[in-house]
Amino acid sequence: MEETAPAGTMASRNSNAFDQAKVPAAQRPRLVAFGSGFEPVFGLASRAAALLVVLVMAGIFATLCYQSFPAFKTFGLPFIFNSSWNPVTDKFGALPAVTGTLITSIVAVVCGAPLALGVAFYLNELCPFRLRSILTTTIELLAAIPSIIYGMWGLFVLVPIMSKIIQPAVINALGPLPLIGAFFQGPPFGIGMLTAGLILSIMILPFIASVSLQAFATVPVALREAAYGTGASVWEVCYRIILPYTKTGIIGAIMLGLGRALGETMAVTFVIGNAHRIQMSLFAPGTTISATLANEFTEAFGKMYLSSLLALGLILFAITFVVLVITRILLHSANRKIPV
Amino acid sequence: MNDNSPETKIKVSVKQLNFFYNDTLALKDISLDFPDRSVTALIGPSGCGKSTLLRVLNRMYDLYPGQRAEGRVEVDGENIISPGVTVSALRAKIGMVFQRPTPFPMSIYDNIAFPVRLYRRLPRQQMDELVEEVLSKAALWNEVKDKLNRSGLSLSGGQQQRLCIARTIAIKPEIVLLDEPASALDPISMGQIDELIEELRHEYCVIMVTHNLQQASRVSDYTAFLYLGELIEFDTTNAIFTSPKIKRTEDYITGRFG
Repeated sequence: MEETAPAGTMASRNSNAFDQAKVPAAQRPRLVAFGSGFEPVFGLASRAAALLVVLVMAGIFATLCYQSFPAFKTFGLPFIFNSSWNPVTDKFGALPAVTGTLITSIVAVVCGAPLALGVAFYLNELCPFRLRSILTTTIELLAAIPSIIYGMWGLFVLVPIMSKIIQPAVINALGPLPLIGAFFQGPPFGIGMLTAGLILSIMILPFIASVSLQAFATVPVALREAAYGTGASVWEVCYRIILPYTKTGIIGAIMLGLGRALGETMAVTFVIGNAHRIQMSLFAPGTTISATLANEFTEAFGKMYLSSLLALGLILFAITFVVLVITRILLHSANRKIPV
Repeated sequence: MNDNSPETKIKVSVKQLNFFYNDTLALKDISLDFPDRSVTALIGPSGCGKSTLLRVLNRMYDLYPGQRAEGRVEVDGENIISPGVTVSALRAKIGMVFQRPTPFPMSIYDNIAFPVRLYRRLPRQQMDELVEEVLSKAALWNEVKDKLNRSGLSLSGGQQQRLCIARTIAIKPEIVLLDEPASALDPISMGQIDELIEELRHEYCVIMVTHNLQQASRVSDYTAFLYLGELIEFDTTNAIFTSPKIKRTEDYITGRFG
């Protein structure tokens, strides 16, 4: 009996809806939902929120273009390829900051990506179940540490280690070599491009690792089992099966890390040395676009000085935008892959 | 095809095997002998443990924590579920083909060569010959001989499955495990796979899980019926399908339950 009761009420409610004329108006079910008055407001509000994002984005871009215009007008395109940065004579060129940005980011990716992939492979293939969640949380925490903490740690811990132990050893070992020796010369200051790159590599590791793990999760269970079923070892499965299968996803993960490294400011500013010079040696102090902006904005009084800084910002904007677009395309095609 | 020669040697002998997924008992006290050079079909409703039994035989469960086997599984008299066994050496002896085709993300040629290279260094020419030999055995050579450098993923589902079988026999295993090898394929591809299994039984101990009773009766020499983790009946396929001794087996093969 209890089972039929709700069905009965449903039926009677439905029949009421159809025979509206027989029921007094006050008792008729509402044909319009209660929320309907709010509907247009909600629609407008959510559309406005979405629009706001586009407007802010366009506004930032427009401001950067407008404010950097004097610099580009004065120096022209050579601004990008000019390596002098002299606030006294009002002569500015972006090359040291651009190369510094690219070099530190490349060092970060070269050092960080293999580490991150190692972490991801360990978590995916070898890690005991209980350790897995602990490690995953640790990696997430690594991503949550504020950038300034990395900067302070870098300056007070990593820089002394670099200058006392690592750099002297590397300079002795690699410095005299032809060709690559040029990258490892000069006094062991501790601060410099390599140190900044190393800090960055730790900072981008969690991003590369977690996106790689997501890519690994797209490998079909049967494919993995089939590979192990042929007697392949963990290394062979990782290197010959999982890596090729998730290739685009991994490249996307690395590009994502590169994007983070390009724009990172505070940690780099602490340890890079802030010198507008282009030098071969990775141990030499240098600068990046974001470090230059963070350091010099407060003291940029000249119009051309300020405009040049904003022009640097626009270049960074363009570089990260290109990297982001490439990342998107790669990750998109990785996710659309037809499962085996 | 369902006749059995009584002198067949036992290749795999399962003795009082219990299998656990964490605390769940998935296989209960299974004892079963798989004869060499013949096809044994494992049948039963979903969840009866037939795939689990297959995965014990090549220690695939090792990949997952919380899964463990108790008892004895002897391959040529050696207990393969004891911890001292080298798993990769065991898997070199035992090939496995899965329900969905699993070509590796590499060329058709390398799909065959990769597992072979895990065990043997072959000169290029010998490897070429081996690739041709196993692809011919898998009735795939004529379809792929002009595109060996194309990705294994570019083949059709049926071709991919035959590639997987070719890959499996390339390492010259002694036992071939087939986990519903034709269930994801169209009828024509399925027929080709059946013919292939026919070929395999002359050389290998073939153990096949299938939901398709027609396939089991067509290609297998022996049939084991499992239900809820227990072995209900094991006999020649002829006997199982014509005069099962146990009522539940009869009910299953006649479609009354399961």
